[in-house]
Amino acid sequence: MSNNFYEFFCPVKIIAGLAALEHAPYELSIRGGSRALVITDSGIKAAGLLEHILTVFEKSQVEIATIYDQVPPDSCFSVITEITDIYRRHQCDSIIAIGGGSVIDTSKGVNILVSEGGDDLLAYSGHGHLKRPLKPLFVVPTTAGTGSEVTSIAVISDTEKGRKVAFGSHVLFPDVAILDPRMTQTLPPHITAMTAMDALTHACEAAIGLAKNPISDAYAHGAIKKISQNLMVVMEKPRNLDGRMELAQAAAMAGIAFSNSMVGVVHALGHSVGAVCHLPHGMCMSIFLPHVLEYNLETCRQEIAELLLPLAGAERYAAVPEHHRAENAIRVIRDMQDELFQHCQLPRNLQETGKVQQEQFETIAKATLNDGSVVFNAKEVDFDDAMTLLEKAWC
Amino acid sequence: MIKITARVQVIYVNIMIWLIGRLLEAASKVDKLIQNEISALPDAFTFSMSILPNGPDFIVQKQADGTFYCSRKNDTIKAELIISFKHVKHAFLILSFQESTARSFANDRMLLDGEVDLGMIVVRCLDRMECLVLPKFIAVRAVKRYPSIPLSKKLTLAVKIYMQVLAGLFRRSHV
Repeated sequence: MSNNFYEFFCPVKIIAGLAALEHAPYELSIRGGSRALVITDSGIKAAGLLEHILTVFEKSQVEIATIYDQVPPDSCFSVITEITDIYRRHQCDSIIAIGGGSVIDTSKGVNILVSEGGDDLLAYSGHGHLKRPLKPLFVVPTTAGTGSEVTSIAVISDTEKGRKVAFGSHVLFPDVAILDPRMTQTLPPHITAMTAMDALTHACEAAIGLAKNPISDAYAHGAIKKISQNLMVVMEKPRNLDGRMELAQAAAMAGIAFSNSMVGVVHALGHSVGAVCHLPHGMCMSIFLPHVLEYNLETCRQEIAELLLPLAGAERYAAVPEHHRAENAIRVIRDMQDELFQHCQLPRNLQETGKVQQEQFETIAKATLNDGSVVFNAKEVDFDDAMTLLEKAWC
Repeated sequence: MIKITARVQVIYVNIMIWLIGRLLEAASKVDKLIQNEISALPDAFTFSMSILPNGPDFIVQKQADGTFYCSRKNDTIKAELIISFKHVKHAFLILSFQESTARSFANDRMLLDGEVDLGMIVVRCLDRMECLVLPKFIAVRAVKRYPSIPLSKKLTLAVKIYMQVLAGLFRRSHV
């Protein structure tokens, strides 16, 4: 027998569908929660999304003890310390995170401190330093992209040292992820597009990377199919609840896939461009995805070819000769890029972002090589390769 | 039979762990690419490689001259980066070149505790060292891409590295 091996784990209970939020009080109560702290950001509050939660918890067995609604776009240690203090002062016993990646990661950080005690979050950084179960954490994503609602990882900015600190542990998984289409219905078109392309990238990289496995493949291909069938529907009709629901599920499925199979060079480049040029993560993913798939053709042509079925459907898959399917899959993604550009001017290349200079490429390429995602890319990437990819993504 | 195989694996892993640390130290003294990688590490940076739960292990520290120095793990030096194999069987797969370093990470055989960007530098140093000291037909199994390197240059560097290991043994025996 060969040395084929994989691990797969996702203990998050997913509650999905219209009025899924209404299940939250009961689910929290059976996990021992009676005084929940809601963590969110000012955008969610301004969009009126908190009203759904407050209505749901009215006259329920669980009380919303207090709400923190000032999480910044980039979660950081000082905010986590501040929220931890609020949690303790209000004698909360559980957390409900409502928002995107930053809110969710911040909530995971708060959960570490309120469960383990103390104020030194850094002491728990790295992999496997948390071994006890944490307090109940419920996540209500308001974007359909990051997949953080189903992952065991949190990334927090250490603003003093100018670095990002990762936390990874099997106890960091949220207890429950609630996918309710009402929570993503008002997402602006360009954010809908960026976050969906982020989820698509999670799924594609999970399906072609070194750590791919049959179970994560099933989630990844399912996510790709949902995104390719529903993204443009939602771009046309943003208030289409069915389409929103499909995208929310796709993001969670892609999250489950990549948290078990990891991601590759699209993310390594995206993290670096994001850090150097301050571009939104989803925008970077959208730009680099077709270029990195092309780069990987030599090593995983078969895996990329198989993406054509969920991307374009059975009819096109059957019509395309086997040896052209990989290029066709990449073509479909480029067509999606063009369509999204028409809808919301989502940049298709680095030049169109207006925020990247070619003089920054060397710095970006060096940072890319030090990103952990590079390890899981099937094809090796060195400095020259990273520079070539950046040049190709320029225009 | 199984017990003997397992025992042989433990002995092999012990030898390889001992050898890898010293080969890395030696390669850091002769190869410019590895020296270039080390220059990006913090001063006095330390990393260790070990087999859970009780070793074997080694610890490598960046020296003031920009090279590595390898020793057994001890209580006086705390490693900033720790690469651990979950089990001796996993270490055997990698150290006998049945599985590459990247494949091993992908298969969850190894744990990396510390800053990932520093870990990536260490992994590149290990890959480079393996490509220099191993015959190509073995090295291609250990890395994702075997570098383009003239045979004469590879042989020269390999001889220098093995000589450095011997010199290191001599130095240690006289400390």
